Formats: sequence, structure tokens, C-alpha cells
Amino acid sequence: MATISCKVFPNYLEFGLEGQRHPDAQAHLRDCPRCRALLEDLTSIQASAKDWGAAEVEPPAHLWTSLRTQLVEEGLIRDEQLAPQRRQKWFQGWFVLPRPILAVAYLAALIGVAFALSGPVNERINRQRWLDGLQSSTTPVRDHLARVEQNTTLSPLLDSNPTVTASLHDNLAIVDNHIALCEKSVREEPENELARDYLFDAYREKADLLAQLSDRGGYGR
Amino acid sequence: MSTIFPVPSLSKRKALALFALGFLLLCASPAFAHQLEKHFKVQPRSVITIHNPNGKVVVKAWTKSEVMVVANHVSDKVEVDAQQTENRVDLVTHQLADSISPDELRADYEVTVPEDAELQIHDDSGDVSVFNVLGDMNVETVAAGVDLEDAAGYLTVKTVGGAFQCIRCAGQLEVSSISGSFRLLDLRSYHVRAETSTGNIRFDGEFLPNGIYRLKNYSGIIEVRFSPSDSFDLHARSVRGKVNNQAKLTPPAHPNQPVSKYGNTLLGTFNAGRARVELSSFDGTINILKRD
Repeated sequence: MATISCKVFPNYLEFGLEGQRHPDAQAHLRDCPRCRALLEDLTSIQASAKDWGAAEVEPPAHLWTSLRTQLVEEGLIRDEQLAPQRRQKWFQGWFVLPRPILAVAYLAALIGVAFALSGPVNERINRQRWLDGLQSSTTPVRDHLARVEQNTTLSPLLDSNPTVTASLHDNLAIVDNHIALCEKSVREEPENELARDYLFDAYREKADLLAQLSDRGGYGR
Repeated sequence: MSTIFPVPSLSKRKALALFALGFLLLCASPAFAHQLEKHFKVQPRSVITIHNPNGKVVVKAWTKSEVMVVANHVSDKVEVDAQQTENRVDLVTHQLADSISPDELRADYEVTVPEDAELQIHDDSGDVSVFNVLGDMNVETVAAGVDLEDAAGYLTVKTVGGAFQCIRCAGQLEVSSISGSFRLLDLRSYHVRAETSTGNIRFDGEFLPNGIYRLKNYSGIIEVRFSPSDSFDLHARSVRGKVNNQAKLTPPAHPNQPVSKYGNTLLGTFNAGRARVELSSFDGTINILKRD
């Protein structure tokens, strides 16, 4: 008959894996293969940890003391005696969970950290990609429109109809203003598809207007 | 001594009165020095093209298989040319001098066409009005306003700054402008596409089943009126402006368009959602209001 549960078993290990164990813990170990496996794993990990330490040169004992004293003086750590014990208890609580769940939780934590770290980076990269794509597609259009605008002159017919001339100039100014505002919006929010749509619409309107201005050279003759 | 003025006889008084009346009528009538009137016999689905730099163009329909053209212009520096090529009638205002004033450039047309005629009208400034023509229509202007009433067919209208009004129109309508405002009233069109940059758009018509209604501007107001019996899917979005809605919409189970995270977007179905209504503005306000 098991005297303690799996949940509290790790509490009996908090004073070490070796040496005399509480009779309840010993009884539980006899009956519970899962906790036996857990103890074996922990013992194995402890042994491995000792081996890693044996391979390294042991630093002088006073080094740790002086380092710790200096860190406490600089306020980088606090000299709490109980903290390690609390951390140990908290940590040991995890061992109550089955190992597959622990593995999944560990994986999830890894993915979460990866996402958290990569989010801002990806955002910057995406933003830059949008801007680059937009620049490569709009720069030729803008340059072409600027050249056409420079070469476009009003025909004598249009000069004789100030209503039409004024309307074309006014609307060209409206479209230029929209282009400037849309470009600003797109620079601020390069992933905003609506702003991009409106920018392209404004370019198209300007192209239409300039085409109308050019076409009117021989109109009505 | 009294002076006696001679009193005109009755016949002389009548002649004077008629002369004065005639003089007054002459002064009151438009000072059109040149008038052209022509008639052309046409077959069904005739095509009438009008190119006029400045002036008023009025087109009306009648039941005759004939096109009647009445054109007026003041100046000798322009001439109106009306010619028929098979089933097409071309009306063009030609400028004859390099130096010409806007008034001298002006020519006004009144054209009567068969109901099923197709129209292609180009009028830079002035006005274009078309009544009861059921054929396809293409109207392009710069500053001239366009007014269509009881039109049908495939209607395409393009202005730079001219306003557009369409009353009781049917068929398919595509209209675009930069600063012109649109009024689409009592429409029965199954396809409406209206785009303007700074103009307002007012739509007060029927949303026909399977109809598509796309209204878009940059700034200004888009106003759409609906009745309780209307049935449409609504997608309204404004990048910087507001969307005001009085329709009780149900959220779509499967939206057919992704909802943008930018700006204000309103998505939903009114009644069975049989028509599709897409309203888009960059900096303007969108109002979806109940019909009074």
C-alpha cells in the first residue's frame, strides 16, 4: 500500500537524492514504477553533472566568495538565503508533470520565444520588402509622368477656352496633392493595401489627365 | 394757338405696333447668326457621334427612324459639320481660326434620335443632357456637366471636373471623374461603378438582385439610401474617414473579402444579401442611411 502520492513524492527528495529516505518515500518507490523512473533519471542527471564538473579545473574557493561579495555590493544580486530553497521547490513541482507534457511545454516555450524574438525582426523585414517593392514599381511611373508633364503644353485651342484650361490645371493639382498624401500614407503603412490602391489610382488619374492634355493639340481641327 | 399733331391712321398704328413687336422679338431671341438643321434617315441601332469643344448638347429620343440635328453657333470662326456614313451620323464643331474667344467657340446642339440609338458625345465645356435614349452611351467631358434621364444600356461617363446626374437610369453604369460630384437617383441599374476623387456621390436607387454597386472616392461624402425591403451585402471602408451606418447588418459567416486592419471597415448583410454594395473612401465619410 502506497503511503504517499506521486504528487508529494518529489518533496521528499528536496534534501538530496542520496542517503536515508523517509519510510513513506521508500514504500512509495517500491509500489510506483513512474516515481522510480523519475528518481533514476534524476540520479543519472546528477551523476552526469558531477562528471562535467570533474572535467573542469576547480576555481579557488575564495574567488566565488569575493565575486559574490562584489556583486552584492554593486546591487546586482541580493543575498537571500531562502531564495534557492524556494526556487528548488518551484522547480521540483515541474517533475510532478508527466514527461511528454514537459517536453511539449518546453517545445511550446521555445517556439514562443522564437516568435517573440522574430516578430519585430520579421515586421521590419516585411515593411522594408513592401517599401522596396513599392518603390521599384512606382519610381518608373513617377519619373515617366514627370517627363510627360514637362513635355505637355496646352494647345492654342485650350488657351481660347479658359474654362477647360482652368479645369485641367485645377484637377491636375488635385491629383498631385492626392499622390503626395497617398505616398505619405504608404510610407507610413506600407502594408496598407487600400493606401496602395489609392496611390495607383492617383497615378492613373494623372496619366489620364496628361494624355488628355497631349491629345488636345489637334482637337477640333 | 394750339398745335395739333397728326394722328396716325389705324392701319399705320397697326404697322408700327407690328414693327415694334418684331424688333423686340429680334432683340429677345438668341443671337445665333448660324443655324444648321439636317435630317438623316437611319436604320435600327444607329450611332450618333458629337464632338463639340464648348456649348450645350441636348439629345432627345423619338419614335421615328430619323436623326434630326439643329445646331446653332454665333461666330464665323467655327462651323458645324453633320455627315452620315451608312448608319452613323457624325456631328463635329470645327474651329476655323487660330485666335478665337470662348464665346466664338460656342456651338449648341439639339439632336433628336431614335430610342435605340447609340451615342458618343465629347463636350469639353458647357452641358450635356440626354433624355429617354435607351441605347449604349459614352459621354466624355472636361468641365461640362452631364445629365442623363431615363437612359438605359451600357452607360459610360467620364468627366474631369463636371458633375454627373443620372435619374431613372437602367442597365449598366460606369462613371468616373476627378472633382465632379455624382447624383444617382431612382436608379434601376444592375451594375454601377462610380469613382471620383474629391466629389460627393449620392446613390438613391434600387439594389437589384445579383447587382453590383461600387462607389469610390478619395474625399467627400458617399451617401447611400436604402429601404427596409432592400437586400444586399455591404462592404464599406474608409482609410481615414468615418463610416456611419443605419442598416441593421448581420455579420457574414464567410466574408468574400478580407477585412483590412487599416481604417474603418463595415462588413455585413442586410436581409438576404442579394446585391453586393462596395463603398470605399480614403479620407471621406461614408453614410448608409434609411430612405425617408
